[in-house]
Amino acid sequence: MVAMIEVKDLKKRYGDKQAVDGISFTVKKGEIFGILGPNGAGKTTTLEMMETLRPIDSGTVLIDGIDVAKDPEKIKYIIGVQPQTPAFQDKTKLTEVIEMFAAAYGERVDAMQFLRDVELEEKANSYVESLSGGQKQRLSITTALVHGPKVFFLDEPTTGLDPQARRNLWGLIEKVRDRGISVIMTTHYMDEAEVLCDRIAVMDNGKIVAIDTPKNLIKQLLKRGFTKEQHVEQANLEDVFIDLTGKGLREDI
Amino acid sequence: MKRSLFTVLTFVRINTKRFFRDRLALFFTIGFPLIFLFVFGSLNNGSGNVSFNVAVINNSTSAFSKTFVQQLTDSKILKVNKDVKTIDQAKEKMTRSELDATIELPTDFGNVSPGTTYPSGVANVIYTQNNAQSATALTSILDAQFKAINGKFVTNVTPFTVTSTQLNQLSLSPFDYTFAGLLGFAIIGMGIFGPVNVFPELKKMGILRRLSTTPLRVWQYFLSTMIGQAIIGLLSLGIMFIVAVLVFHLKVVGNWFELAAFIIFGIITILGIGLALGGWAKNERQAAPLTNIIVFPMMFLSGTFFPRYLMPEWLQNISAFLPLTPIIDGIRLIATEGKHLIDLLPQIGLIGAWLVVIYFIAFRVFRWE
Repeated sequence: MVAMIEVKDLKKRYGDKQAVDGISFTVKKGEIFGILGPNGAGKTTTLEMMETLRPIDSGTVLIDGIDVAKDPEKIKYIIGVQPQTPAFQDKTKLTEVIEMFAAAYGERVDAMQFLRDVELEEKANSYVESLSGGQKQRLSITTALVHGPKVFFLDEPTTGLDPQARRNLWGLIEKVRDRGISVIMTTHYMDEAEVLCDRIAVMDNGKIVAIDTPKNLIKQLLKRGFTKEQHVEQANLEDVFIDLTGKGLREDI
Repeated sequence: MKRSLFTVLTFVRINTKRFFRDRLALFFTIGFPLIFLFVFGSLNNGSGNVSFNVAVINNSTSAFSKTFVQQLTDSKILKVNKDVKTIDQAKEKMTRSELDATIELPTDFGNVSPGTTYPSGVANVIYTQNNAQSATALTSILDAQFKAINGKFVTNVTPFTVTSTQLNQLSLSPFDYTFAGLLGFAIIGMGIFGPVNVFPELKKMGILRRLSTTPLRVWQYFLSTMIGQAIIGLLSLGIMFIVAVLVFHLKVVGNWFELAAFIIFGIITILGIGLALGGWAKNERQAAPLTNIIVFPMMFLSGTFFPRYLMPEWLQNISAFLPLTPIIDGIRLIATEGKHLIDLLPQIGLIGAWLVVIYFIAFRVFRWE
């Protein structure tokens, strides 16, 4: 498999806090890569540096062979970004949102096609403020794909959604991956990471403490002699997570 | 380049549509300046013919006095308060400046005195200290009326008289100044308060941040805002012109195209201030104080609410260099004095200089979040 993203020794410092402390990983073409970690672990900062939103202190990020720090304008054409809480200006029709985002890339698209991809074609002429949280997430996903990016970033895409909307979104994210797009997402939900991610990196205090497929991470934990009180033979990803990063409650940064 | 412009025009098209769907925005850009226009327009219209609020207390029963009172009541110069019947009521209202003066006709007013063939009498103008000026004016008005009446009863020779002739030439009315000022107010409302209110909100919601992950450039975003504002601004000011012409008898003698071009130039310059402030501010708390510091002095010193010629000369000299001043002056010079753009090179030069400075700052301080 070809590496779509190569991150090498990436660092970012805010004041006296080393938010990202020399992390390295690669993401292959057409895989879903999850970044997990408690609040303040450096997930969002990592994502933002890759998305050209934050300057990189040191280290490199290559996306499709292009250096993010050196050529951010070129990078913008090959990445799609889904923010944590998608927001749109009021009184804008769904088709217009798509048209505007396409226009930002200098492109003219069939807005209906993109709405159909996320099952929003019936809402085409509604204003964005009439959408539910899940519908906004779906609209946001499809707007991030209007220019046919090679990499798709999602920051906690299912936070605050009901179980049905979450599962629906998982299906959409898998469809995006199946089109050959590399998906990088952060999440707090272990079940989500277990179901959705092909590989995950667990971050804590700005460092990656483990990186592998969910299955392998669970196996490794069991090998170390981990047992659950009632179901001796079973452990889930949540156990891995807590084992790696501790139980202490973290302050939101 | 063609692609870049397509981006800009798509943003203009959709943002303009959005504007017309937003009733609150419509009210603040079009309705709000219109309300000011009606308020200030009506205030100014009254000052065209001076009128005095007076009470007339007629103690006489003569036929002449009754006709005289009727004449005063019909007069356009005097506003006779009919509720006031006694001198005490009148005194009370005068001390509160609700009345400028009281005209008292004594009991013998209009009676024919023994030995004469015509009615005679002395009218008494009563006033308080703070109304001395109106009383003097009123006395001379009455004096002139009595002279006309006297002429009918007693023929006398008047070797010297005075007449006045109104020239049919254009002259500026206070409303011309007020109107140009109100246009300035409308331009500030759209150009500065618009972006200053909207941008921090867009930043808070992360909408600008999301746009910054696309290849959209700041200049494209600014240019689309400029074109959109020019369209909406022309519409808003156009409606103000229509109302001013139809309701307040504004006479526009200048060329409409030159006027439109000049107004667009002005709107874009002032919009730059809004883009700089809104683009810089991270949130409303940062935006509001700085905006007030910049906008309110400029609004008053540039003559939006009262004309600059009322200011002391040193202040006029300073305020002449504010960006809004040449815009307001220029609009007035074109619209009501029929000047051409070629005559306005000093104004255009000054606005142009501000345009460069303002946009230089706006591009430097802009933040997507």
